[in-house]
Amino acid sequence: MMYFDNSATTRPFDSVIDGMSASMRDGFYNASAAYRPAMDIEKQIHACRQAIIAQTGAKREDEVIFTAGGTESDNLAILGAAAAIRRAGVFLVSSIEHPAVAETMRRVEKMGHEVRIMPINARGVIDLEACERLMDEDTAFISCMQVSNETGAIQPVAELSAMARAKNRSVLVHVDGVQGFMRVPMNMSRMGVDLYALSGHKIHGPKGVGALVVRKGVRLIPQTTGGGQEKGIRSGTYNSPAIIGLHKAIEEMAARQADVEAMRALKLRLYERVSRLDGVKVNGPEPAAADSAPHILSLSFDGVRGEVMRNALEGEGILVSTGSACSSHKQKVSASLRSMGLSETQADGTIRISFGLMNNEQEIDTAAEKMEKLYALLKQYRRR
Amino acid sequence: MRQILLVRFGEVFLKGQNRPFFMKKLIDHIRLAIREVGGNVWLSEGRIYVSDFSDLDECIRRVTKVFGVHSVSPAIEMPKDDFDAICRQAAEMMRPKQGTFKVLAKRSDKRYPLDSPAIMREAGGYILQNVPHLSVDVNHPDHEITIEIRDHAYLSVERIPAVCGMPMGTNGKACLLLSGGIDSPVAGFMIAKRGVELCCVHYHSFPYTSERAKEKVLELARLLSEYCGRMRVHVVPFTEIQMQIHEKCPENFTTLIMRRYMMRIAQIIAERDHAQALITGESVGQVASQTMEALGCTDEVVGMPVFRPCIGMDKSEIIERAEQIGTFETSSLPYEDCCTVFTPKHPATHPRKELIRKAEKALDTEALIAAAIEGTEVVVVG
Repeated sequence: MMYFDNSATTRPFDSVIDGMSASMRDGFYNASAAYRPAMDIEKQIHACRQAIIAQTGAKREDEVIFTAGGTESDNLAILGAAAAIRRAGVFLVSSIEHPAVAETMRRVEKMGHEVRIMPINARGVIDLEACERLMDEDTAFISCMQVSNETGAIQPVAELSAMARAKNRSVLVHVDGVQGFMRVPMNMSRMGVDLYALSGHKIHGPKGVGALVVRKGVRLIPQTTGGGQEKGIRSGTYNSPAIIGLHKAIEEMAARQADVEAMRALKLRLYERVSRLDGVKVNGPEPAAADSAPHILSLSFDGVRGEVMRNALEGEGILVSTGSACSSHKQKVSASLRSMGLSETQADGTIRISFGLMNNEQEIDTAAEKMEKLYALLKQYRRR
Repeated sequence: MRQILLVRFGEVFLKGQNRPFFMKKLIDHIRLAIREVGGNVWLSEGRIYVSDFSDLDECIRRVTKVFGVHSVSPAIEMPKDDFDAICRQAAEMMRPKQGTFKVLAKRSDKRYPLDSPAIMREAGGYILQNVPHLSVDVNHPDHEITIEIRDHAYLSVERIPAVCGMPMGTNGKACLLLSGGIDSPVAGFMIAKRGVELCCVHYHSFPYTSERAKEKVLELARLLSEYCGRMRVHVVPFTEIQMQIHEKCPENFTTLIMRRYMMRIAQIIAERDHAQALITGESVGQVASQTMEALGCTDEVVGMPVFRPCIGMDKSEIIERAEQIGTFETSSLPYEDCCTVFTPKHPATHPRKELIRKAEKALDTEALIAAAIEGTEVVVVG
């Protein structure tokens, strides 16, 4: 099988699997216990915090809160802040957020805050001018993803943050970095980000672990209460095997930055061949553009439903997804793609190819060849 | 004293000389249904009992799905000689209940010292005295406790309705055309309930339908097999036929011609699987291919009976039935079963047979069917 659905999840590095297995076998102690073996686990967790700090431009170790993944991190950021903001405020959220954010905003509305939707342009990038008109001194919270999971468009979070801060100095800026972390640079202090959510399994780490990086001074109301871990913000015994796995993944990703950049070359190699076909169109920024993430390619095949193309590719041993995996259970046309101005049939004809560090050129050439062949075959049978 | 399950059967009662054949089938199927929870099934004085099971609730769940079973009652079996002990047990069983009650007694052992009215009176009096929050109502009681005196005494309070019907395999075998929709599992259930063994045929249009769509159909078949036992699902590759029809036939006839191919292939598979009839989920007028004329067109190519038990049902009635038998949720999963890419915008609703026949001439029917049969995958479920 050739796996091109790395935005859904990635295969863990061997170093991750080995580290976790050793941790479960030998290092099973509760990191909060008082004896020596537990302290060793605590040190490993400490090392993971340091690695996250280095990768996000955070400053202090206590800014890192470990969670059970991206969704929990986003929930904690949004609900924790919404509960801490006493006066009813305005929450701005982009129109293309992952359900972990979009659905959570509904609860924010129920808590008495106002939620405004920030529009995107035809390239799948947030429309800064339109956003500025939505902002005022009541803007309390802004949420914008770092990289669109559907198109790979890198969002101008630094500009957005600066713009909002000009209107209200105490605004909180939340960035869902699940699709961006370690594939697109992030420096929270330089980019003006207060809350940054990341996930382990999108960077060849384990599932069920992630972190929310919270800039010093930002107040969150805990959404999980209990034994008081993570300074009381996120109680629960440390998931040490997963945290150690996350650390291994960060280490290997950091050591292989050249390979991360090489994903862009793979993406361009595929796009270069497939874009020659009549009726194929890229969604989001041009793949070579600076605001196109290195690992996501969204293509519309005119006249062939994405689902059919996906199934046919699976038949050839190539795994991709339609739209994004998170919304594919609902089998609805992607709202994000529609908001970029795609017609219903175009949005319906979309597949997402997402790359990881384990893909190679040979796979790309095979995938391109199969796509050419299948598209030629399938487009003959379009609905009359 | 032990916990047993008392099984009542329905229509088998009506049978005359061949009743032992039906009873044997029924007992075999109950045995098969509970093989994973353990337990003995035995017949005594025209009653079926299940004993020595590991899990009463699971046993009930399984036995109530066996066709031919009318209802079941969890019961206590105990020695009949000590009538005081029987009264004590009856009072214990009634203690958790609220409201009114009455005692029903049956006595097949006519040498028993108490007759039925005496049993009712004595046991009723004892319960009333020892469970003071209950009162007696012989006309409309909230609860009935039954005391039966046979080789042992049997006490039961609950009566759980079962699926009814006839024991599986007593009325031949039929082949169900199973899509992924709501109607076909209901149709299969209704015919199977009459004691008809099933096999299924499903048309798979890869890549227009996904692996998940196929899994969904197999899951529906598995849900049906909880009632009708292990069966074969024949998964027929159908894409080539659909593409040929799409290419070579007039658009408004494509659905009907496709239905005719489905029926032809189903008949061949049915014959090979020793089935004597076909079952479909069609309901008159529901869609274009289910108008009176369209049904006539599809029937024309089949030489065996085609059962359509949903034919006179409204969609809402079919859905209600699907919910009862537990297939609705799976049927509602959003995977496509019949690809929209091949659905004509304006299908013929009043087709003329001779025009359809003529349109079909453009296709090499024999070769297409042979290839589809050749590529058929057989999956056993249940």
